[in-house]
Amino acid sequence: MPNDNDITGRMPMTCEEFAMACPEVRSASDDNTLRQAVLAHARQCPRCAALQSNLQTLQDDLRYLGLETKDADAPPRVQMRVMQEFRTKHKTMKARRIAWIGSWGLATAALVAAAASWISWRHDHNLIGRPGTGSAEVAQSATNQAPAGQSTEGLVLGDTFVASNSSGDFTLLPGSTPSPMEDATVVRVQMQRGALGALGFTVNEEHAADLIQVDLLVGDDGLPQAVRLPEATE
Amino acid sequence: MPIERDDRDDVLLRQSAKGDQDAFEFLYRKYQAALYRFALRMTGRAWAAEEIVQDVFMTVIREPDKFDPHRGTLGGFLYGVTRNRVMKHLERSPRDLPLGEKTDEGFSPDTLASKELTPAEWAELHERRAQVRAAVLDLPVEFREAIVLCELEEMSYEEAASALDCPIGTIRSRLHRGRALLLAKLEMLRDVPRRANAER
Repeated sequence: MPNDNDITGRMPMTCEEFAMACPEVRSASDDNTLRQAVLAHARQCPRCAALQSNLQTLQDDLRYLGLETKDADAPPRVQMRVMQEFRTKHKTMKARRIAWIGSWGLATAALVAAAASWISWRHDHNLIGRPGTGSAEVAQSATNQAPAGQSTEGLVLGDTFVASNSSGDFTLLPGSTPSPMEDATVVRVQMQRGALGALGFTVNEEHAADLIQVDLLVGDDGLPQAVRLPEATE
Repeated sequence: MPIERDDRDDVLLRQSAKGDQDAFEFLYRKYQAALYRFALRMTGRAWAAEEIVQDVFMTVIREPDKFDPHRGTLGGFLYGVTRNRVMKHLERSPRDLPLGEKTDEGFSPDTLASKELTPAEWAELHERRAQVRAAVLDLPVEFREAIVLCELEEMSYEEAASALDCPIGTIRSRLHRGRALLLAKLEMLRDVPRRANAER
């Protein structure tokens, strides 16, 4: 290994340094300090000169090898397959998105319809018992026209028009047991005559569709226990 | 939407993930050749390189979220995926490429033959390049990829480090050892006269 100072005046590089630096200096300009040092070392060390020569040949060979495939491209069929996959995937995604939006739309529509019908039902239900409106008016007027011997006084409990609590000619409904009168409430409702058939009454089918007033004896459990037809209805 | 040259890759990838075919095609055209060459030079087989590139872009189509722009460039990510596919391919297929074997259509040695060469010189050159190619393919993978990227693809150390997701120093040392291994292999194969020349 040479020990003299090189032409650049710095300490000469060792063979290990040369081996590391040699491949790097190939593209460096001639006045590059490292290149000068490498060349100086190569001039003095035959072993490193041989290494430099071999490395240069190897780099030339590799460069040619690189040039062989420099313009290599993936064949057009690869692009075709890839683009086909892209279109298929996004077509499927689009279809899925449409289906998803459609199903959510349907579900929302169903929910809105259900909510609307529930609100409507609640509204109708409230109207039946509210004083001063529709059928409640009828019920009140019917109460006012009640025959003598029955109390015509009514109470308003919430939205329900309540008839007087007199013990008239109530008929027990099938399956119900009589309960103490102080726990029961008499409610006057309007219903179709035909519905009385379900309560055990004989109904003239010609008048089954007529609306009639009926007093229901409602127990403290909220279930009707007995029914009474005001005389005018009968 | 028209693709701008200066659109960032991650923006284009996001657009392509939303179904923008132009954005995807732009990315494909931008990267396919480099990835194909890398795969070809690593495997030495055109059919394998073709399969690998296709597989890489299929991954981009199916799982675009795998790329995280905070972790690196799309180019680095694609090189990483390609590298993984190359590794899998090399694990599956044993090194069965004998020295001097003619490779697939990806290589075209005739294009480099000088018109001035005699038939004998041309044959010698052809043989030597075949030996170099075989020696490169016979390198351990980590050295091979450093040689392929820095010597064949002529990437800078920084670019190679980014592509392989490793420090520059690692690239430098792998390259050094790769060259040494190549020299050793090629010396064993051919170079008695050269050594004699060098000692002269």
